Amino acid sequence: MKINKVTLLGHKDHGKSTLIGNMLITSGAASEQRINEAKKTSRKLGRRFEPGYILDSFEEERQGEMTIDTTRAQVKYRDVAFEFIDVPGHEELIKNMISGASYASFALLIVSAKADEGIRPQTKRHIFLAKMLGIDRIIVAVNKMDTIGYDEKEFERIKGELGEFLGGVGIRNDNVYFVPISAYNAENLSAKSPNMKWYKGKPLLDVMRTVVKSNEEVEDPHLRILLQGTIPHETGSMLIGNVLSGSIRSGQRIMILPEGANATVKDLFVKGSRTKSASTGENVAMLLDKPISREPRGSVIYSEGSRQRPSDEIKATVFLTKEIGEKITVRFNGSNLQGKIAINSLIDTTTGSREAPKSGNYALNAADVNIKLGKKIQAEPFTDSRELGRFVLYEGSKFAGIGIIK
Amino acid sequence: MIQQDINELEERSIFIIREAKSKFKNVAALWSMGKDSTTMIALARKAFLGKVPFPVIHIDNGIDFPETYKFRAELAKKWNLDLIVVESEIKPEMSGFACCGANKTVALKKLMEERGFDALIVSIRRDEHGIRAKERYVSPRDRNFKWSYKDQPAELWNDYSSSLDSKGHVRVHPLLDFNEIDIWNYIKKEKVPINPLYFSRNGMRYRSLGCTHCTTAIKSNARNVDDIIKELGTTTTEERAGRDQDKEKEYVMQKLRSLGYM
Repeated sequence: MKINKVTLLGHKDHGKSTLIGNMLITSGAASEQRINEAKKTSRKLGRRFEPGYILDSFEEERQGEMTIDTTRAQVKYRDVAFEFIDVPGHEELIKNMISGASYASFALLIVSAKADEGIRPQTKRHIFLAKMLGIDRIIVAVNKMDTIGYDEKEFERIKGELGEFLGGVGIRNDNVYFVPISAYNAENLSAKSPNMKWYKGKPLLDVMRTVVKSNEEVEDPHLRILLQGTIPHETGSMLIGNVLSGSIRSGQRIMILPEGANATVKDLFVKGSRTKSASTGENVAMLLDKPISREPRGSVIYSEGSRQRPSDEIKATVFLTKEIGEKITVRFNGSNLQGKIAINSLIDTTTGSREAPKSGNYALNAADVNIKLGKKIQAEPFTDSRELGRFVLYEGSKFAGIGIIK
Repeated sequence: MIQQDINELEERSIFIIREAKSKFKNVAALWSMGKDSTTMIALARKAFLGKVPFPVIHIDNGIDFPETYKFRAELAKKWNLDLIVVESEIKPEMSGFACCGANKTVALKKLMEERGFDALIVSIRRDEHGIRAKERYVSPRDRNFKWSYKDQPAELWNDYSSSLDSKGHVRVHPLLDFNEIDIWNYIKKEKVPINPLYFSRNGMRYRSLGCTHCTTAIKSNARNVDDIIKELGTTTTEERAGRDQDKEKEYVMQKLRSLGYM
């Protein structure tokens, strides 16, 4: 069955791992051994039972009561299946949070309603990042309702404040859902809690089911094949690549960019067998009627006559995880490219506001930038092609952030 | 256990195996003759149109099952595999952590150094173990095989790690997304040859295969692939329940893996 990937978001200690842990237990997805092991560890550490330990399996995670790295767990609920991607909430572990969240199609944001917790800068930063990664459907679980006497007013207050911010970063109102829960007591997860009769909506898992059921993905018919390289073949070498969108057939005229060469597909293979055509998602191997002039890794195949043009300059929005200088490495679809970055404006990820760049450390900030590369690449705006519209930033061998092409 | 879309999993694995071959100079794969690494080789055959373009390594401690050795010989011939057998020492007083940690890892280290492999394909799956669920698709190990699990590289989309210290290597995990039942669905779909120890004889079968010292059979009447798929659909026990080393104590898998174990 189709697995719907959902990333958790939110500030540390607001209950992300606990929530997934209890979802795994209530849905029967966690084996008895895993639950017993988590119970045993909780006892050994002298704590009450922590469902989060089903996911937090590193010794350091359990002892330190924090998620260090991302992990995944699957749950079947009624006629749908979810894969929860747990991520760390700590600021300094944002690299691991981005790694996990990048695979999700929607998000579950946890905000603690407990006194002194509430909406934090990291709560908003995670929303901003999720939106950047292309996630535009968010379920907000207002957690720890049991600690504030299931107070409807506080729930409404959080809903109002976050709703405004979500709208501000461009997430549509009708794609946002709010559910009051207690992750630890498993309230409003799969059944309505008698303690929150004022809440008229569905329990969390049913809201998640509604979200995935209402989503219709529109397929882009334009052909794009991202080339990985070549493999040896008796008649020379074959191109290998992944069909990002559209479809291709044997005999079709194609165009390879940035080379700018036109060619005809002479032979086509999918999953090791010869085929007449291949479609989105498939990995192909193909013979062309003529060799291509340069290393094909990172090149893109379009239909002949495509108006796409390569460029050595990109305009993008980036999120930085560390301080950077002017010289950066752009990792784009398997290639490492040297580039020079110029920052046009800074974006405060906790308010969404833009301002002129000032000197200083831009770590944990977003920015509108221009990047000049050492050579031409075939990229597209993120809104046209996700795969060709995003990149990863490095400074030397250090991860420095992500970018979305405008 | 959730059954995922086999075609989607297959394409993702093919992409990752091809990516490893395109990106790294000297790739090898581990083959234990178990269901997972055999499935991985079947996928590599698809990725490269029939011919597996890298050597497959068996770290042989001499105490695997006779059926396993027979299966190795037959399939290596049938699929024309470039098989490397590394003999590792086994001491009778060792078991579990010491055995798998010391003896298998040491033998592999020696081979990796001799042959200069920079990428090693390992057929672990996320659903096998909480620690394996924390893994990346491509994960660097330093020259001492150490896994810096507290500082794993970023891994977004299809951008896999490429930073390596000079003598280190990467572990490539193309089956990370597969569940145990998906492996069996794939074996069924592709008629992948499989070690007979997985099938029930006298009411017992092996669900997870290690060496003769540390693996125990489970009660089962599953005599063929269909039976196994049916059995897994309703089971509530863990796949590796018959593996000693996981049960010795908490965090054993974490310690083994941080030292370079598969």
